[in-house]
Amino acid sequence: MSADRTDPAVSISVGVDVGGTFTDATLVYAGRIHTVKVPTTREDHGRGVMEAVGDVLAAAGVGTAQVARIAHGMTVGTNALLEGTLARTALVATRGFGDVLDLRRQNRADLYRLTAAHPPPVVPHERVVEAAERCGPEGPIVALEPAEARRVAEAVRALEVEAVAVCLLFSFRHPGHERELADALAEALPGVHVSLSSEVLAEIREYERAATTAVDAALTPLLGRYLARLARLTADAGLPAPQVMQSNGGLIDLVTATRHASRTVLSGPAAGVIGAALWARTEQIAHALTFDMGGTSCDVALIAHGEPGRSAGTEINGHPLHLPMLDIQTVSAGGGSIAWSDSGGALRVGPQSAGARPGPAAYGHGGDAPTVTDAQVVLGRVRSVGTPGRETPLDPQLAGAAVDRLAGQLKLSRTTCAEGVIRVANHEMARALRIVSVERGVHPAGATLIAFGGAGPLHACEVADLLGIERVIAPACAGVLAALGTLIAGERRDWVQTVLLRQGDAVGLGAALAPLIERANATLPGARIEVSADCRFVGQAHALTVPWPGHEDVGVLAGEFLAAHTARYGDADVRAPIEVVSVRVAAARPGEVPEIDTIAIGPSIDGPAAIAMAGATLWVPDGWTTRACADDSHDVRRHGTATAWTR
Amino acid sequence: MDPITLQVMASAMRAVAEEMEAALVRSAFSPNITERRDCSTAICDAHGQMIAQSASIPVHLGAMPDAVRAVIAAGPDPGDIWILNDPFTGGTHLPDLTLVSPLHVHGARIGYAVSRAHHADVGGIAPGSMPAGTRELFQEGLVLPPVRLVAAGEVRQDVVQIILANSRTPQERSGDLRAQIAAHRLADARMTELVERWGRTLIETACTELLAYAERRTRAELARIPDGTYRAEELLEGDGITDLPIAVRVAVTVAGDRLIVDFAGTDPAGPGNCNCPLAVTHSAVYFVVRCVTDPDIPASSGAFAPVTVRAPDGCLVNARFPAAVAAGNVETSSRIVDAVFAALAQAIPVPAQGQGTMNNLTIGAPGFTYYETLGGGQGAGPDADGPSAVHVAMSNTLNTPVEALEVAYPIRVERYSVRRGTGGTGAHTGGDGVHRALRVLVDAEVSVISERRTSAPRGALGGADGQPGANRLNGARLPAKWRGRVAAGDLIEIATPGGGGWGAAPSPTDRSNGRRAT
Repeated sequence: MSADRTDPAVSISVGVDVGGTFTDATLVYAGRIHTVKVPTTREDHGRGVMEAVGDVLAAAGVGTAQVARIAHGMTVGTNALLEGTLARTALVATRGFGDVLDLRRQNRADLYRLTAAHPPPVVPHERVVEAAERCGPEGPIVALEPAEARRVAEAVRALEVEAVAVCLLFSFRHPGHERELADALAEALPGVHVSLSSEVLAEIREYERAATTAVDAALTPLLGRYLARLARLTADAGLPAPQVMQSNGGLIDLVTATRHASRTVLSGPAAGVIGAALWARTEQIAHALTFDMGGTSCDVALIAHGEPGRSAGTEINGHPLHLPMLDIQTVSAGGGSIAWSDSGGALRVGPQSAGARPGPAAYGHGGDAPTVTDAQVVLGRVRSVGTPGRETPLDPQLAGAAVDRLAGQLKLSRTTCAEGVIRVANHEMARALRIVSVERGVHPAGATLIAFGGAGPLHACEVADLLGIERVIAPACAGVLAALGTLIAGERRDWVQTVLLRQGDAVGLGAALAPLIERANATLPGARIEVSADCRFVGQAHALTVPWPGHEDVGVLAGEFLAAHTARYGDADVRAPIEVVSVRVAAARPGEVPEIDTIAIGPSIDGPAAIAMAGATLWVPDGWTTRACADDSHDVRRHGTATAWTR
Repeated sequence: MDPITLQVMASAMRAVAEEMEAALVRSAFSPNITERRDCSTAICDAHGQMIAQSASIPVHLGAMPDAVRAVIAAGPDPGDIWILNDPFTGGTHLPDLTLVSPLHVHGARIGYAVSRAHHADVGGIAPGSMPAGTRELFQEGLVLPPVRLVAAGEVRQDVVQIILANSRTPQERSGDLRAQIAAHRLADARMTELVERWGRTLIETACTELLAYAERRTRAELARIPDGTYRAEELLEGDGITDLPIAVRVAVTVAGDRLIVDFAGTDPAGPGNCNCPLAVTHSAVYFVVRCVTDPDIPASSGAFAPVTVRAPDGCLVNARFPAAVAAGNVETSSRIVDAVFAALAQAIPVPAQGQGTMNNLTIGAPGFTYYETLGGGQGAGPDADGPSAVHVAMSNTLNTPVEALEVAYPIRVERYSVRRGTGGTGAHTGGDGVHRALRVLVDAEVSVISERRTSAPRGALGGADGQPGANRLNGARLPAKWRGRVAAGDLIEIATPGGGGWGAAPSPTDRSNGRRAT
């Protein structure tokens, strides 16, 4: 990256990520990472996006004509799901099974609060239309007559909806009836968006498939409108149309994103992990845990040998979203978590949060509950939020007053109380990180913590202490790492297809894989194709996803499965028949990844010390030493360990 | 102990119990543990008092300390892990295999780790070890008194072989047991770390303080309930051998910040398998205590210290060896919950009755066994409607997806729907039950264990009752508990009960005036 600052031929990429409070933008130019943070414009995120892009270009001294690419992560979908502001949607289901969304999986929302309810389904049962048809595992049992398809379409039309989800039993294997309904719906309701479950998620298990398809249908009109507006704004400004970040950590083009909104719901957290993976790879870290702590929540993921873990789905605010995505666990602990004294006299932190508004008392927006951030302000570890040059100062008097009220209840001094709030919060987060790593078969003690988000670097070393972790990396631009993640992400598409075939059935597996691979090649020509398979022994209920390199050879698949089974369960019966539940195909094209220079160049700084970084503050406690690296990241090591910095 | 250290210790102890469960769930073999999470783990102090429990299924609440007590009585040595399932010596019902290990750090015993997991088959007369209509414990599977599974750090293969030889699915048992043992070894390592970080004295003090903390909070909550003795009766709809009603009678006495729950007057244990060992009765009572106090209080022995449970020896809810108990855990426990709630309803607002059954359905033929439980309506509460189509009390396990079921078994599901309107009306409406219709495609043996088929879940304070459930074979009614053969093509239907409503429904006049009568 030896570009001339004035060279108009140099093409620039810009990454921009919309969060709940801030919209961040970043670009890499002439070997430097430039970042800005502007307030998120809640009424129309596009305005904040344009402001952030404009500001970061100005900061780097780059003209719009040089921008070849904008990569965009966002929260439009997540917010709509959390706030329930979704498009009016209908569901078409198999006769006798129209209540699939109401029935869920029959577990109640809370073990002991008996009347606690799940969030209402995305489609209320008044807007469900049952179709007289039925497929079983082997194919159609009751045919879908053309007249019935037309009747269903008419019934849906009467509901006056913006979108339709179609989920029929066994459509993951026999999609014909869903396609016939799609044709009938297109004819009766031109312009209304239709999501078919066989296209959104061709996977067994009707509730998860129906719920995911309903979310896809209900979000797509909203996301489509937002992205269309944004595309107009960028075009007016002479900028290219943005690519969109997905939950799987890869980008897609804007038009594809417009068709299936469910894929982009968790784009922000995924982008942060992609950003963190750059440091994990550069530093060749075997096991890294990401620690992305913001105002209301803390996202944790495992990066093994530079590759973020993947999962087949998650749940957002009680709505299942079963799609290939990065494996990220969210803990409801953040800078805005409220500290309180419970009826037994213990100091507690969370799960209540002051959120973005009013936020911590120190923000001066009228909040008076003591939060984790207020405790940090009281201890003098953090004085402002935002990026250099655009800081918002935090008010130590308001923070002190909020902490004092709690300290009074607990008969503690202000400082002791503030330290206590942070200790308790750190223990809660350490507990969550421990579970996340154990559930994934890794013990945290040998891992490296990569800390980012506005509050991550403030807490990381003390959390690491509790987990026996000896090294913490706070990447450069830790406060805007998701924006950097969108910038460096590659393109990626995932497909999954339930097949339920014996592992030895090379012909059947080949026939199932061929169309997926063909589709992958057609969608992203020249991309790397990755094949994996969900396998189990016949009779087992749970499958393990294993890679399938050289996917013509079913013997390789058996070997991979037996090895994975042995690693997970201690043994594997080499004679037992193996079943392939689903095959997974991904097409991936790498992004333009800048080289970062992580060599430590700064002097050793022993804790305790608070170090200002771009958009974040790093707290180095007693017992730790940090050195700044050439790329402005910080490499923090614990004393008395094999990797400790010499002091 | 200062408020910060107290919370830090609470978090640290809970972390050990939760990490045990995470390790168990991750490396267990059977879907009942990996997917449905039918397991619990806990850390107890050196006296066997439960300090922290992983948040898991309610039916294990009260029964963990009983298992630890049984092992303490047997005299465990350092490096041991004991196993038991005997319902009359620390167990609940036979599929729940419980492991208990003493925790030693630098030669001193600092506590016990305990794990309990529902194993899918431990022998007995029927696959799944949850048979309807058994008459004595021996028909329900292998009975394990407390014995050493691991001695001086070595797994006793002879004991493992006995267990495996008695299960229809030995490979699965072997995998699940190995996962449980791994969880105990992890607890050992974590407690050693804690002692090394904080010192043994502080850990021991913290145990005492945490028990006192949970007790203090529970007492504060109980003290708000008006003093008095409140009585209630609940009837079981037979026990699979007799169709006659069997009564659970309870007197709940609130005396200041204490609760005495006395089952005097309850019918004797029955000939069938709806009997409960006292551990299950404890769990059911503690479940209600957690619901009516603050569920945020840690589930420790301290939280239950202010609660005394009494039940006459040999009665339905304190059955004697060798009574059959398989269904006591799943059905009678629901009656106990309803009875204790009904008594407390005379003193404080509690939700109306929920479906009060788990609707256990087993369909089996050579080559397959399908078992599941079905959700129904929850009772409405003073400030909310009752949720529909959920498990309501001592269970919270998932359903089997229709597609997964049809791929695995020769069964076709013809309907799975919400029974709209089956929840009782009221100011708040009870939750609706569900309707599941299954066509069995081969000749098979069917067992149904259910409740609330003739009696309705009751509404509260003027709210209407929920509708009872119904079991049908080809349209003809079956009793609440039934075992028999069906032919290929027969249709089994389970309709689960709706929950009761809460408070009188607003009358049409009130509604037209825009007022709500609550």
